[in-house]
Amino acid sequence: MTSGLLRRVATLPFMLLAVASLIFAIMHALPGSMIESLSAQFVSDAQRVRLMAGLGLDQPLWRQYLVYLNSLAHFDFGISAQTGKSVATMIGETLPVTMEMAGASFVVMTVCGLGAALIAVHAADGPADVAIRLLSIILSTLPWFWLGLVLIMIFSLWLGWLPSFGRLPPSIDYRPVTNFVMIDAVILGRPDLIGPWISHLVLPSLTVGLTSSGVVMRLVRSEILATMKKEFVLTARMKGIGANRIFLRHILRNAAVGIMTVLGAQFGAMLGGSVVAEVVFGYPGIGRMLVRAIESRDYLTVQGAGIAIAALYILVNFMTDLACLYANPRLRDGVWS
Amino acid sequence: MHRLTPFAMPVVLPWTILGLYLAVAILAPYIAPADPLAATGAPLSPLFGSSGILGTDGFGRDVASRLIWGLRPMLAVSFGAVFLATLAGGAYGLVAGGIGGRTDWLMMSVVDVMMSIPLILAAILVMAALGGSVINLIISVGISQIPVFARLARALASVEARKEYVLAARAVGLSRFHVLVREILPNIVRPLLVQAGSVVATAGLTAAALSYLGLGVRPPAPDIGYMVKEGQELIFIAPGQTLLPGLVLGVFALTAALCGETIGQERRR
Repeated sequence: MTSGLLRRVATLPFMLLAVASLIFAIMHALPGSMIESLSAQFVSDAQRVRLMAGLGLDQPLWRQYLVYLNSLAHFDFGISAQTGKSVATMIGETLPVTMEMAGASFVVMTVCGLGAALIAVHAADGPADVAIRLLSIILSTLPWFWLGLVLIMIFSLWLGWLPSFGRLPPSIDYRPVTNFVMIDAVILGRPDLIGPWISHLVLPSLTVGLTSSGVVMRLVRSEILATMKKEFVLTARMKGIGANRIFLRHILRNAAVGIMTVLGAQFGAMLGGSVVAEVVFGYPGIGRMLVRAIESRDYLTVQGAGIAIAALYILVNFMTDLACLYANPRLRDGVWS
Repeated sequence: MHRLTPFAMPVVLPWTILGLYLAVAILAPYIAPADPLAATGAPLSPLFGSSGILGTDGFGRDVASRLIWGLRPMLAVSFGAVFLATLAGGAYGLVAGGIGGRTDWLMMSVVDVMMSIPLILAAILVMAALGGSVINLIISVGISQIPVFARLARALASVEARKEYVLAARAVGLSRFHVLVREILPNIVRPLLVQAGSVVATAGLTAAALSYLGLGVRPPAPDIGYMVKEGQELIFIAPGQTLLPGLVLGVFALTAALCGETIGQERRR
């Protein structure tokens, strides 16, 4: 009587614990670790000892690990050496920004990827199909951070249509409440925020969304084509069901789980891509915070940002699994019995 | 396998381009018109000008020479990281799948954990801990690709391990090591190579992204990814400084992906 859903929920804390441990291991165990490079900056031994003690690094490793886990459980990521703010606060400020951008990129990826795949399926082996397959390989091998710069050149420098840097123009007075601009615009009654917010979001999300859509086009196309060859499609046709109805109700419905799995898996790749894209566009998300923290050897911030990004990724994967369970009754059977 | 290319593409074309990249990288000292580290002309000389056919960068260094020398870290990391990942991931998966049981479960749980971090985040963190150099780039990009190969090798090996020839080999008393390496390994090596061919482009792009973030090859050493970053600062006055290295990188990634595809086609025949 094991429930697949419950089992999936139960693995979640273990997954988070394991990833937190992995990040701890990377930060502490590797040769030439952050801590060594951190203390290398300090000339005097006294300074060095004080710094190590301040971060608890003079303790034995197992003890550091326990302290680390304990503070994670209280959402305490320490104090940033660079800004003097608590890392948890910084994550709270930057993670919503990244989620906004990842969400917008996801929309771009899904619309372009699914749209192109549907066109390709309908024109299978025709010129449109060939063009889309070619496009999909070019998109998936395009250096995405470079594409961002090319888009800046075209749409910001030459055409002057879109801003190239930041999240909102500095002229706008924005005091965040939730850090999600969309929600804050509603709470604060500030519809003037939305226009500039979207115009700043267009180029980064196009950059990340387009380059991730290449893989989606290819996989969704072959997923739908494979479903079309199944016998139940033949049966439906023999029963005299119209072609459109077969496509929407029979083929797409059955391909949905495969499509959602592809989209979910790509979301993870996209999240990684947006870390770099944030640096390209000076977008104040958690990726830019991570890279800046590495530059200034602010190791608690690096650790906190790493955990936050990984946790977001795990949650997205979890939600993908739930969506697949919802979409496919055959998977659910095994779950509830 | 999902076919990347829609038409029967001449196999020769991508392999020729890839060969050219390799040849230029290897022959860099003889081909490069100037010292990639020395200022040879006025900063930002134009294309086809007196100082080099591709002009000079913001420091007056010859762009053509920097691109040619920059191929070396790019190719070394792309192929080195995939080589490392194939070897380490393949061996790991072979042992897990070949032995099976609890060992398998435990080993693959570790891989599941590694898979639950976005690939580039893992590479960024490892790079931050190790510091920037070509060798460290190979290690960090390689590590981030290991889980993929481990899973593939494990899936293939556990199928093979149940086949009769393995049973026979064990029945005649061959050692576990012998069964894994001499019996199972030869039967799973080809799909692993196909997978290796398909991720060279990804490895190259990841490495370039790390260099772009300033975590890769240390300046002033020439590197394609870092050239894109340097070009970004000059984007208003000299867009070519960004466009050229990006094109060199993009063509390499596309070519590598197409070549990887031909390895897969050969397998199907």
